[in-house]
Amino acid sequence: MFFIQLLSAGIATGSIYALIAIGIVLIYKCSGVVNFAQGAYAMVGAYVTYALTKLGFPALVAVLASMMVLAALGIATERLVLRPMLRAPVVAVMMATLGILIFAKAICLAIWGPDQIAFPKIFPEGSINLGGIFMTYNYVAAGVLSATLCAAFLAFYQFTSLGLMQRCAADNSRAALAIGIHVSNQVSIAWGMSAALAGLGGTLLATLNGLSLGLEAIGLVAFPVIVLGGLTSLGGAFVAGILLGVLEAFTDGLLTPAIEDFLRAYTNVYSVGALQQVVPYALLVLMLLVRPQGIFGRRGTERI
Amino acid sequence: MALVVRNVSISFGGTLAVDAMDLDVAASEIVGLIGPNGAGKTTFINCVSGAYQPNTGSALWNEHELIGLPPHQQLRLGIARTFQNVASLHDLTILDIVKLGANMRGDLSMSARIAGMFRSEERLEQELIETLLRPLKLADVAHKPIQTLSYGHRKGVDLARALASKPELLLLDEPVAGMTAQEGMAMAGLIREVRDRFGCAVIMVEHKMDVVNSTCDRITVMASGAKIFSGSPVEVQRDPEVRRVYLGED
Repeated sequence: MFFIQLLSAGIATGSIYALIAIGIVLIYKCSGVVNFAQGAYAMVGAYVTYALTKLGFPALVAVLASMMVLAALGIATERLVLRPMLRAPVVAVMMATLGILIFAKAICLAIWGPDQIAFPKIFPEGSINLGGIFMTYNYVAAGVLSATLCAAFLAFYQFTSLGLMQRCAADNSRAALAIGIHVSNQVSIAWGMSAALAGLGGTLLATLNGLSLGLEAIGLVAFPVIVLGGLTSLGGAFVAGILLGVLEAFTDGLLTPAIEDFLRAYTNVYSVGALQQVVPYALLVLMLLVRPQGIFGRRGTERI
Repeated sequence: MALVVRNVSISFGGTLAVDAMDLDVAASEIVGLIGPNGAGKTTFINCVSGAYQPNTGSALWNEHELIGLPPHQQLRLGIARTFQNVASLHDLTILDIVKLGANMRGDLSMSARIAGMFRSEERLEQELIETLLRPLKLADVAHKPIQTLSYGHRKGVDLARALASKPELLLLDEPVAGMTAQEGMAMAGLIREVRDRFGCAVIMVEHKMDVVNSTCDRITVMASGAKIFSGSPVEVQRDPEVRRVYLGED
């Protein structure tokens, strides 16, 4: 029972990772840039939701409005930062996205301060009992919402005509241009959608863990996810996100206590710390050594 | 005249690739563009279709200037083109590529375009398979990736993609290159059929004279970047200059 409890909690946080990682993959496919600012979008999204609820907007309106603000922010990033750097080396563009992350963090620090803020209650309090498994509404809502949105987004990408144009522009931008696709608009749309997804991910994460500048670290956790899933596979990002969430939950719930019991029995070490925060990066290193193209990646995929 | 091209010139470095080309195409006329290798035929098409920016010249299509207009804006004016070397798309199926053409039709309003972006399109898919892929014998492979096809069949997909946008002016760059003689003649028949059905004007660059003669209403001959002759297929066959430059007689 404890096992299933951990599994469901892992799936819930994993879905949020997936939401944020899908955005990174989307941007990479379309513009060839690994976007380090994704964590910033998540953090800003959470702060904007917070600010809007403080202003008295209902929770749902605040969440949707924050997604729109983030979409605008993503498009603005693409137009104002990426497009002028069109001929710059990709590494320079990636550094620029890192700069955006630092800049966004400084802005949020100036406005909201360094302290952890209690996030307004977006979902009702309490928990549900699913045959012995207890989950708070926060977890259920965050998991269901982000998993549904991931699935909806994948369907959108695969089955609609805008998704088709996105796929074509991502596949071969020169060819897309030649057959009459407005590629730079498609890239803008990709940035807008990515930022909006990340903004929602950040909001959901804040409902679970509270709101602080530390939220931007989710952008880093997303990197093991996309390396695991393959840098060019949206479906891979989804699967790998959930996998990583589950792995973290198991590490926290099973592995850490087991190791600590062992250490306490034979040594003076009392605690091993937050082992679940190490696991993604250990997996990242392992994956890069063994299968750098990721589970779902393809040959020719670049390493990061 | 539907398309009026005047004085188009473009040079790369010191080489004058297209030299003061003029070309007129009437509505629903099929004009063949022939000439030896390096005559500037494809370069000329690239100038008209917006891929290159010529040094001088204009190309008016129903009062709209085409020179310098990017492909997505030309599509809105009803102009579609195919390519000599088919663009390589790895992730898309044949039907996907044809759908891309259909989604970029020029006659849609902005709101219809936006609404269409979020719909999945099963009825459209069936229609495209039946009207475009079936005649090109590509219906059975509609859901396969385009990379699985031979060069000649990929050209068929490229043509279907261009046709799906319901063009009023179709620019074809070597539509039958890489096909067997039989496939080539079938393609030629299809091009005429398309013109008869949709009433679109066609400019086709082609080397195979039998295809050109049986398809085109009028033929323009280029050599060294300039037009040297224009007339009906019969006239072209008879002209001594054309025979010397292109058909290889002394």
